Amino acid sequence: MSFVDSIAAGLSLVGNIEAFLALFLGVAIGVIGGAIPGMSATMAVALTLPFTFAMQPITGILLLLGVYKGGIFGGAIPAILIKTPGTPASSATILDGYPMAEKGEAGRALGMALWASCTADVISNLSLILFAGWLASFALSFGPPEFFTLILFSLTIIAGVSGESLLRGALSALLGLLLATIGLDLVYGTNRFTFGDPNMMGGLNFIAVLIGLFAIPEILAMVWHPTAHVGKARRLGKNWVSFAEYRRSFKSIVRGSFIGVFLGSIPGIGAAPSAFLSYSEARRTSKNRENFGKGEIEGVAASEAGNNGVAGATLIPLLALGVPGDVITAIIIGAFMIHGLQPGPMMFILNVDIIYGLFIGLIVSSVFLFVIGSVAIRGFKYVADVPKRILIPAVLVLCIYGVFAVNNNIFDVGVMFVMGWVGFLMMRFHIPAAPFLIAFILGPLLEDNFRQSMLMSGSDPSILVRGPITWFFWAMTFVTIIAIVRAGVRAVRTGPAFGQKPEG
Amino acid sequence: MTFKTLGAICALSLGLAGAAMAEYPERPINMVIPYGAGGATDISARTIAEPLGAAVGKPLVMANVTGAGGATGSVAVQNANADGYTMLFARVGSHSVNPAMKATLPYTLEDFRFVTVYEINPFACVVSANSDLASMEDVLARAQAGELSFSSSGVGSGPHLAAAMVLDAFGLEDAANAATHIPQQGGGAAATAVLNGTADFLCTNSSALAGFVANGQMRALMVTTAEPVAGFDAPTAASLGHPELEQMVGWTGIAGPAGLPDDVAAKWAEWMEAAAADADFVEKMEARGSIIRVMAPEEANDFIQTQYETFRKLVDDLGMRIEG
Amino acid sequence: MTERQVQMRLGIGALLAALFLGLYAIPAWVSSPSNVGNVVLSPLFWPYALAGLTGLTGFGLIFSGFRSDRDGAPLGEPDGEAGAAWVRLAAMAVIMGLTMLLLPRLGMVLTSMLVFVSTAFLVRTRHRITAVVCAVLVPLVLYAFFAHVAGVAIPQGDVLRLP
Repeated sequence: MSFVDSIAAGLSLVGNIEAFLALFLGVAIGVIGGAIPGMSATMAVALTLPFTFAMQPITGILLLLGVYKGGIFGGAIPAILIKTPGTPASSATILDGYPMAEKGEAGRALGMALWASCTADVISNLSLILFAGWLASFALSFGPPEFFTLILFSLTIIAGVSGESLLRGALSALLGLLLATIGLDLVYGTNRFTFGDPNMMGGLNFIAVLIGLFAIPEILAMVWHPTAHVGKARRLGKNWVSFAEYRRSFKSIVRGSFIGVFLGSIPGIGAAPSAFLSYSEARRTSKNRENFGKGEIEGVAASEAGNNGVAGATLIPLLALGVPGDVITAIIIGAFMIHGLQPGPMMFILNVDIIYGLFIGLIVSSVFLFVIGSVAIRGFKYVADVPKRILIPAVLVLCIYGVFAVNNNIFDVGVMFVMGWVGFLMMRFHIPAAPFLIAFILGPLLEDNFRQSMLMSGSDPSILVRGPITWFFWAMTFVTIIAIVRAGVRAVRTGPAFGQKPEG
Repeated sequence: MTFKTLGAICALSLGLAGAAMAEYPERPINMVIPYGAGGATDISARTIAEPLGAAVGKPLVMANVTGAGGATGSVAVQNANADGYTMLFARVGSHSVNPAMKATLPYTLEDFRFVTVYEINPFACVVSANSDLASMEDVLARAQAGELSFSSSGVGSGPHLAAAMVLDAFGLEDAANAATHIPQQGGGAAATAVLNGTADFLCTNSSALAGFVANGQMRALMVTTAEPVAGFDAPTAASLGHPELEQMVGWTGIAGPAGLPDDVAAKWAEWMEAAAADADFVEKMEARGSIIRVMAPEEANDFIQTQYETFRKLVDDLGMRIEG
Repeated sequence: MTERQVQMRLGIGALLAALFLGLYAIPAWVSSPSNVGNVVLSPLFWPYALAGLTGLTGFGLIFSGFRSDRDGAPLGEPDGEAGAAWVRLAAMAVIMGLTMLLLPRLGMVLTSMLVFVSTAFLVRTRHRITAVVCAVLVPLVLYAFFAHVAGVAIPQGDVLRLP
């Protein structure tokens, strides 16, 4: 079957109103679901799954993909407006999005988030279509040693999001790494810091920690100083992002998209680290790096490009290998199987019409995302006009519902509260929260992959340099660390600029 | 187990407890799924929820409570009121492998009362298609040389025990330690580990492997059921001379807390009979390689107890029990 | 707090935490099987490594504290009326504690209503009536959404059982 035939076959599959309607509906559900903290893209996809059982395979899968893409973008809305990430992937968006909202520029931040998301979405979809085969075979060469080096390199992002003081960033990261050890040990199944409580054995719920760390301290700060916000403009502000700003951030958006594509095509990393990596790369190379963390629009662009770049690319291992890259694609793979489709190399031969139908649907989904996203922003913008002392209790109640809903467990609400106090203390001591979060995500991956490598090799450390991929990441890690150390030394020499910056 | 006995149980319970509990269920029933969305248990539970909900007549509220290999969700039901409004989708991992392997598990089988087991999943053992292992003899030979590694979805999971059990049955000395166990986070990762060469060997639910086998990415070496499994061109355990491995099957069942009243259990037996008769349900489940076999409460309890004892003996023999 | 104070306090805190972890917490609360083949594979290896790094970071913080200005500008804005602020913070802690106690008993909807009202008044809202109206409506709307659209088993109370 030639390329044109394949496209024609694909078109004939999706060329009906039903498929497009499903896709449109999916994106809309996703944006709303993603915008509700605790719902998150994962849960929105899981909830939509049963409805796809009765549909045509392509319609059902497009519906789920729409929810997925919409959800990843939707998470940015509460991240910017109320400092509560709607999905874990949008936590990097908080770093600059929320300060922008505080300055009355929520509209610009949301607009940029949408533009960056759609751009990244297009790039991600095109990469899927053009390079799926190649990237998939690359992803399969990632065993535990390669993962270990990649994650080690990713941990250097911490330096990029540490803000005023590198040492305080490191402390924050260590705290995250320590809390991530709670739960059952991977290799021996023994208890670590669980105190015999079955709720602790599964480890601390990630979303509970995330919301506790970002949203609750904001509430406590409000309790501490109820009138701090009075007099600050906290409206949607200038309503839309300008094209000049988009052009200025374009390089970061493209870079972020490709970081997303790369990390998305490797199973097991997910969108949150990608957003942070993209953010820290943008900060490293930007002219406005001083402004990052204080409401820099390029930071929002980079973070949103980083997480949306993942969305299309996670389909690479899914379609080409039948391997789910994260929880969401694991659910989507279930949908394939229910319809008797088995993703993998054979699918490109047996069901090529479905593959091309999906490709066409994905490209259209970027357009839908833009349309629905614009509407959603206009709908949610009124949140910025709610009096802050009404908004804060509402956010608290929303967090309680959302965190409970993630795992149907009241214990998680308690985890959120406790993490809220930890986050508040960190805020008082000017310890940045982002390194904590990155470490909390990556720490278990680092440890697990290290120990898996050691199991593979019978404790021979030379496995950690077993091939070109590992060499590459070792080199990247060393180069980055040297750059960080040099920047630190220079800052110490030039005096108090390093580590001293009063902020309100 | 026949319809007659079932009918008798139902009639008896209805007659005895008629007035007091006749209205059960008077409100929605919470169904806890102790594993994550999209996993085998989740899909199985949500597939049966449809016909089951119709039979129950009240909504079934599905709640995924994940963590610690199914323990978090199981404990949530263990501590719930035994009034039949909080029930658990129990699974081979959470209710026969885990209790057999983990000394510190916060529950035992006695804390639950099973009302049914409705699904059996054959286990299959696979290697990567690129591997030079072509039969179970090859696997055994490599294991005896001390060079075999196998993946699983975690310590104390079904695949962990299954690989040890299979290797032990085929005569490997000290099967728990002679082969290297490389645990992964979850079933998907366990299959990926075989694909990318991290581990050589994996025994798990056939439904989790069917796609890879059909795509020619993996090669099946054995299935554990008495009958060959469709889509798996592999001998059965019995035909390789190890019928005892037929104990190693996955299952999904429904359980309540230990004090569940008899009439509630009887109601469930009735509902399950009706739900499993749904042709659409059976078709969907069989398409994924499951075998539908609805057991009445007593039969389900016996089945699980027997499997648990088999596993427990194996775990003790091989010194695999996790004490810490 | 000045930069110097922050770094010193954090440094001392980190050192103490590292000592506590290394000497008590890890031996007591992390269990390891007796037959671990290699030290890097032990469940204890990673926690000990982290405790060590925490200690190092603590030294680094103290060192950088010594280096910075003795009387540098204070970080952050000064807080007026700190006494009242502490009382409010303590009250918030009590609200959170009570929430955890009441959630299984009163159910999520009633508890959230109480949380909303008490928090809104704790931060001395100017919109009292709006706050009370929202306190009733927000939990109900969220309940309707999560329970009936998302199919989540929101905890129901003994007092009030919503449809």
